[in-house]
Amino acid sequence: METGAGGRLDRWLLHGIAGLIAAFLVLPILAIVPAAFNGRSFILLPPAEWSWRWWGVFFADASWRRTLVTSLEVASCVTVLASVLGTAAAIGIARLSGAVRTLVLAIFVGPVVVPTIVLAIALYAMARSFGLVGTLLALVLAHTMLALPYAALNVGVSLRAVDPRLMLAASGLGAGAWLVFRTVTLPLILPGILGGAVFAFVTSFDEVVLSIFLAGPAVKTLPVRIWEEIRVELTPVVAVAATIMLVLALAAWAIARLAELRRDGRTAA
Amino acid sequence: MSSLRLDAVAKNFGAVTALHPTDLAIAEGEFLTLLGPSGSGKTTILNICAGFLAPSAGRLHVGGRDITALPPRRRNIGMVFQNYALFPHMSVFENVAYGLRVRRIADADLRRRVSEALSLVRLDGFAGRAIRELSGGQQQRVALARAVVIEPDILLMDEPLSALDRQLRKTVQLEVRRLHLARPRTTLYVTHDQEEALVMSDRVAVMREGRIVQIGVGSELYERPADAFVARFLGESNLLAGTVQWLDGGRGALSVPGFAQPLEGRVGGSGAALAVGHAALALIRPEAVRPQADGIAARIVERVYLGELVAVRLILPGGTEIWCRRLAGDVPPDLASIAVGWDAARVTLLPNV
Repeated sequence: METGAGGRLDRWLLHGIAGLIAAFLVLPILAIVPAAFNGRSFILLPPAEWSWRWWGVFFADASWRRTLVTSLEVASCVTVLASVLGTAAAIGIARLSGAVRTLVLAIFVGPVVVPTIVLAIALYAMARSFGLVGTLLALVLAHTMLALPYAALNVGVSLRAVDPRLMLAASGLGAGAWLVFRTVTLPLILPGILGGAVFAFVTSFDEVVLSIFLAGPAVKTLPVRIWEEIRVELTPVVAVAATIMLVLALAAWAIARLAELRRDGRTAA
Repeated sequence: MSSLRLDAVAKNFGAVTALHPTDLAIAEGEFLTLLGPSGSGKTTILNICAGFLAPSAGRLHVGGRDITALPPRRRNIGMVFQNYALFPHMSVFENVAYGLRVRRIADADLRRRVSEALSLVRLDGFAGRAIRELSGGQQQRVALARAVVIEPDILLMDEPLSALDRQLRKTVQLEVRRLHLARPRTTLYVTHDQEEALVMSDRVAVMREGRIVQIGVGSELYERPADAFVARFLGESNLLAGTVQWLDGGRGALSVPGFAQPLEGRVGGSGAALAVGHAALALIRPEAVRPQADGIAARIVERVYLGELVAVRLILPGGTEIWCRRLAGDVPPDLASIAVGWDAARVTLLPNV
């Protein structure tokens, strides 16, 4: 195709602006990675000397390791809970219609729409009266509230792509409701469930506001520890913790994307 | 294989009546087609038979057993869906085997029956294929194999050929017919395509607005339609509007505007809906209209070439339009005047609906 000089200039301008926006979005995040490999005692950009020094510090410190394990424990429980409940909810919602459906959907997205700080105060008050502040259970339940809508919506999208006649065909061939679910519905919505699970994991792993309110000295997640650490002093070990979170979140995102591609490939066929 | 009987089966969706109380009996091994436009209630009947819809009233019997209250999985009915509804995550083999696995058929027996079913629909060697690798026609045959492999009491088919192109549709129609003749299965088939209905069925039930308007073998419906709706739905029709002049036993005549003589014919349908002095229609099939020296003077206004046949649009005195279908050599090659006529035996007088 032929392009005039004006067109080429426009294109350069367009690419330039797009590049600047991309840099604006990504650079601050990526900047944390070199900061984690800084040999000095304070965060410096770019690092004056490259070193694994602060990674050693992070993993040598039992309290840092403990928060990472707690984060993974909470996120794993949330992933399982949100996936199971979210799948059940999505299947239930798919059978509703009219005003009931609208109401149930509104209830489900409620925790995501309500300002997090409001939710945090409410949950803190609730958890206090049940004596749950500072327990793993409180964190798991609170994070599940946030993760469940994502899981349910994700499964819902998958479910809508499944032809309801497949379920009719299976029951017509003699399969009971549970067998139809296990052999037809579940395999077809599995990519959606996996995608929802990853969302749930990341939601919990990232969560800081609710966690600050509900964590205690014994049960503390990684983001809460980072927050506390920064308020005292900004050492490169915080950058290490942040980089670990970044890598895990990206890995989770990549898994979700792969699951999505598989689903699209299947429905396109 | 069993007979199927509907006793006053009806279905309402709120205030909307999808199916008026309907009786229908299909004999063991009979291929019956429900033919009608969309919304005529044919798919409603099919879904009630499959158990996907509960009837608002009436009973459903298979082989003398009342199955009205049974869920789909307890009915032993094979269903072929409009879009096939094959399981996309299973191979051809697993799709066909599904109903047998649910019935816990032993492995050796299951393999034998699946391979028999696949060879019945001429898909030997396709067992390991993925569904998305198959053409529309092949998918349609997998769906048929999956439905018949369970040895169903009744086979239900919901417009299974509508997604195929015209040429393939004709081939598959004949194939389904041959399969049925080789091994008759009680079959309820739904379509809006009259040709499909005529080619494949033992009997056809024409449906309109939630009722069966006429049921019979194809030639009966074509030659003796109960009303103008059935006449229009099966084949091409010339329907001339007029007023009933006299009725006498099975015969009668209409006075048609522009016609010097009343148009005589056989009274169609039950005849009860016709009354002297009231409006009615005269049905003359286009192939019954022929050149006739002492006939009615007509003007040819259009010729449509159809291969061995030509269809000619004629204007009769008084402005009435009719179509005539003849072998290409029987009509003048250019637009001209022509005198046409027909046997009174091939005119049917029908109530106007």
